[in-house]
Amino acid sequence: MAKIKERYDGLVVGGGIAGMQAALDLAGQGYGVLLVEREPSIGGVMVGLNKVFPTLDCSSCICTPRMAETAHHDRITVQAYTEVDEVRREGDGFAVRLIKKPRYVVEEDCIGCSKCELACTMLAPHEFDHGLGARAAIYIPHGNAIPQLPVLDPEYCIFDGTCARACPTDCIDFTQLPEEVNIEVGAVIIATGLKTTPMDAKKEYGGGKYVNVMNPLAMERVQSPNGPYGHVLRPSDGKLAQSVAYVQCAGSRDKSIGVPYCSRVCCMYALKQAIMIKHHRHETDVTIYHMDIRAFGKGYEQFYRRALAEGVKVVKAKVARITEEPNRDLTLRVELIDEGGRVAEKRHDLVVLSQGTIPGWRPDGRALAQVDDDGFFQIRDVVTRPANSSDDGIFVAGVATGPKDIPDSIVEAGAAAMEAAMYLDRTRGRRQALAGAGVEA
Amino acid sequence: MAETKRNWREDVKVFRDRMGGLTEAKKAMAKDQRDTIKAIQAALKAGPRTVPEISAETKIASQKVLWYIMALKRYGKVAEAGQAGEYFRYELKEASS
Repeated sequence: MAKIKERYDGLVVGGGIAGMQAALDLAGQGYGVLLVEREPSIGGVMVGLNKVFPTLDCSSCICTPRMAETAHHDRITVQAYTEVDEVRREGDGFAVRLIKKPRYVVEEDCIGCSKCELACTMLAPHEFDHGLGARAAIYIPHGNAIPQLPVLDPEYCIFDGTCARACPTDCIDFTQLPEEVNIEVGAVIIATGLKTTPMDAKKEYGGGKYVNVMNPLAMERVQSPNGPYGHVLRPSDGKLAQSVAYVQCAGSRDKSIGVPYCSRVCCMYALKQAIMIKHHRHETDVTIYHMDIRAFGKGYEQFYRRALAEGVKVVKAKVARITEEPNRDLTLRVELIDEGGRVAEKRHDLVVLSQGTIPGWRPDGRALAQVDDDGFFQIRDVVTRPANSSDDGIFVAGVATGPKDIPDSIVEAGAAAMEAAMYLDRTRGRRQALAGAGVEA
Repeated sequence: MAETKRNWREDVKVFRDRMGGLTEAKKAMAKDQRDTIKAIQAALKAGPRTVPEISAETKIASQKVLWYIMALKRYGKVAEAGQAGEYFRYELKEASS
């Protein structure tokens, strides 16, 4: 990875699809960009998805070329495994303090051969597979990771030096410490993505307690060819799932857990995952329990019709609670709305909770831009300036401002890059900005 | 490439102390991992098995067996070997020379 310079035209916070697009669009206009990602690889949530809706294209096949383009762009510096600690206004620009987390690997010397990972004898739950699979204590985050560099997890390290002994380039460095890096930038784009509500946010659904109640992002990994299982198995015993239930709004449109808004993508990803389960094994019964199906985008209604045609059952019902049977099957107590509110018990061997979408990062005073009560970044004018934050020079893109799908995140990233470019032009003049990026005007 | 050889043997001791040492809990975790892998590999030496079969033979919870089977599969030590009803069978992979 390239060394961090002292000054950039733009800082993009977050290396998911929105952040990468914003960085590419800003760099494409001639500006120098630093993209900072807190995880060890860029790619965000999208690189872990199996397919995208409504096209059912391979998600990583779309995302990884974008990752490579970002990492290899002449005017973009990617700094992964780094957190933004403070953003302070200085004139028209910003002074930014970053904390680069230790990988315990000398990046310049590592050749990404994985010998350290293969030699390591300790296993840990793999974050990329939501704990369903394992990784070594020192590991390259995943096959498509950029950069292809390992990171050592001290929590699982037994300090026997196996990795250092296996390394052919002597690049394991146990002396690394968190490193403070101070830079100046002309504009900031925040694209910090999403998290889902905690598994146990709704206790009555047994998330976090019953092993066969699953997070939808974990189900993406289960369905992925390079996921932990390679098949749709249930985590309790590896049985091929025979009957899968989706519980919609299991963390959205629910004031009781502080998420009163619609998460906008759950209906569509549930339909997508249901279709994919059918494609894995057509006999598997898949039922989506929902309040209403919100298929509002281009081609989304047709996608819903396709799911029905492929045998996915879509039942208007409210799930009251989930209980676990001795064999780890799950019984859902449901109120069937289209049957006059009749209460029934339905048994499934795997349940996916369509959890709410919440902000991936809260600035907590580290960035100037304000957030709304729901934690998403404020937009100055929702109708006319959707990429402008509450503060001049700070722009926002993707789920950082509220739940949205991939196409909308990409559109917003382009808008944020354009607004940032106009801000840089306005505040410093284009010639000066280009000079700062090392490009002749 | 590093110009001078790192003294990792000394560095790892300092690292261990900085991270709170090799605690009893961590030693126990390492032993449990070794024992579990050994037990699963021993069960598979008799031939391909499903997760519930390995669990019954080893008395290790099926959820834990699945996690370790997937870990061994990821690192090339176990492979799928067909299906038995609703379950996949797994077998030991011969070590490549």
